[in-house]
Amino acid sequence: MDDAERRKKIRRTTLIVAAIAIAFYVGFIMMGVLRS
Amino acid sequence: MTTAVADTHEHHDDHGPAKGIGRWLFSTNHKDIGTMYLIFSLTMFFIGGAMAMVIRSELAVPGLQFVHPEFFNSMTTMHALIMVFGAVMPAFVGLANWMIPLMIGAPDMALPRMNNWSFWILPVAFGILLSTLFMPGGGPASGWTMYPPLVLQTGDAFPFLIFSVHLMGLSSIMGAINVIVTIINMRAPDMTLLKMPMFVWTWLITAYLLIAVMPVLAGAVTMLLTDQFFGTSFFLAAGGGDPVMFQHIFWFFGHPEVYIMILPAFGVVSEIIPTFARKKLFGHDSMVYAASCIAFLSFIVWAHHMFTVGMPLTGQLFFMFATMLIAVPTGVKIFNWVATMWRGAMTFETPMLFSLAFVFLFTIGGFSGLMLAIAPADIQYHDTYFVVAHFHYVLVPGSVFAIMAGAYYWLPKWTGHMYNETLGKVHFWASTIFVNLTFFPMHFLGLAGMPRRIPDYSTQFADFNTMASIGAFGFGLSQLIFVWVLVTARKGEKATDRVWEGSHGLEWTVPSPAPYHTFDTPPKARIANESFE
Repeated sequence: MDDAERRKKIRRTTLIVAAIAIAFYVGFIMMGVLRS
Repeated sequence: MTTAVADTHEHHDDHGPAKGIGRWLFSTNHKDIGTMYLIFSLTMFFIGGAMAMVIRSELAVPGLQFVHPEFFNSMTTMHALIMVFGAVMPAFVGLANWMIPLMIGAPDMALPRMNNWSFWILPVAFGILLSTLFMPGGGPASGWTMYPPLVLQTGDAFPFLIFSVHLMGLSSIMGAINVIVTIINMRAPDMTLLKMPMFVWTWLITAYLLIAVMPVLAGAVTMLLTDQFFGTSFFLAAGGGDPVMFQHIFWFFGHPEVYIMILPAFGVVSEIIPTFARKKLFGHDSMVYAASCIAFLSFIVWAHHMFTVGMPLTGQLFFMFATMLIAVPTGVKIFNWVATMWRGAMTFETPMLFSLAFVFLFTIGGFSGLMLAIAPADIQYHDTYFVVAHFHYVLVPGSVFAIMAGAYYWLPKWTGHMYNETLGKVHFWASTIFVNLTFFPMHFLGLAGMPRRIPDYSTQFADFNTMASIGAFGFGLSQLIFVWVLVTARKGEKATDRVWEGSHGLEWTVPSPAPYHTFDTPPKARIANESFE
């Protein structure tokens, strides 16, 4: 794996994992909104 | 074995660490950041420990002695928040920062600048949290669980509490992203996932847990904030909200959080026991599956923390049996550690002593957890000192002993010198005796009905409380031995690259102390893997 390809993979993994975290944050607040 | 290392630091002779405070403020080096995490964690251990001393002083004899009940409640709340988020978690992040790149043959963490941010957010968060002790109304006193509506009665400290919890969460999430991205993308070419050391594996699983649950805590406290200041009623019954919903959301975070604090401990112990038993870890792959299983189960057991709020029988049965199921993968791990030691050529250096105590004492905490999982019994035990005994057995001779074991195990690699083994053993025996003197009597107090989070109690509980207080002060003082071991660490004899006779893995192929830059050229993991076969 060359350097450019590794950087691309690092960026992609970072975005995916960060998106999961944001989804949990927003999702649970939305659950609160829908329940209250 | 050192071939891979030989050409790693020659490129960096011209730019070693920066000089002065700038090295630490702006560092993107995983070793520097790991060191900062570990020092921060130790500082927080002593601050949180001082709060525990206030608690145990007040409880040493019946009656009100030293502090007002409100301040006592503040101490229990702050002690928990500091120990969980400021001491145990950062200690494991520090170990991860130092060791994961070395273990997988990576030159650094994948996102070094974010790594710097992850760390420096923490002192800010805890500065804010500690500052609440000096505010009108005092620090938060509703328990670390921050249950509404009680938490909404917090004085000026409330928004600062919420902001600091957000910052702690942000730091943990960024740290977890870094761990995942590093392990997935930066491993040495030959190192397949199942060849990774157990410490790396347990941290990968822990990082996924963090990603899933820290945002949930952030969401819960955001809703508390809007309930207090923006007129919403997420958890306020008067406005149509549901306070029990907070408990569900909190414990959806809170139970996996328990495993966030113990899975890396499993990883540390899984590195140490094979080294001092001079055998390969028994059942490496089954350990990986067991850790994954524990992580999955941690998401479906949260309501065992709240059996007393009232729930349908089917709910109680589901959460009771799901909780008991966790004993199976945990049993696999205990069995594998014992099987690793079976007929091994064992020696008992300080890291091994702490690891053995971990296996034995963590199991006691596990068993009391099983007792608490039984719904009808839990209704009796709930909010008693039995619960306090249970989670302190899991967290102190569990997580903290594993952190100590890891610190002693890797200290020669970090400093380049052997620590004082005699002092290490004195530290171990003092800690082990006093930790049991502190927490074992709490089981009896709880079974006899002493409630937790109270500054005074009936005289029938006096003797066991005095014992626990003596033990707590003894345990606290014992930790000063550890500080002395650290202070004098550089005076010991020079450590070899391999340090321990039975050690194996890439981290032991680099010189001691580990150079500032390592593995610029990816090593061959095969070399390290074969070294023990």
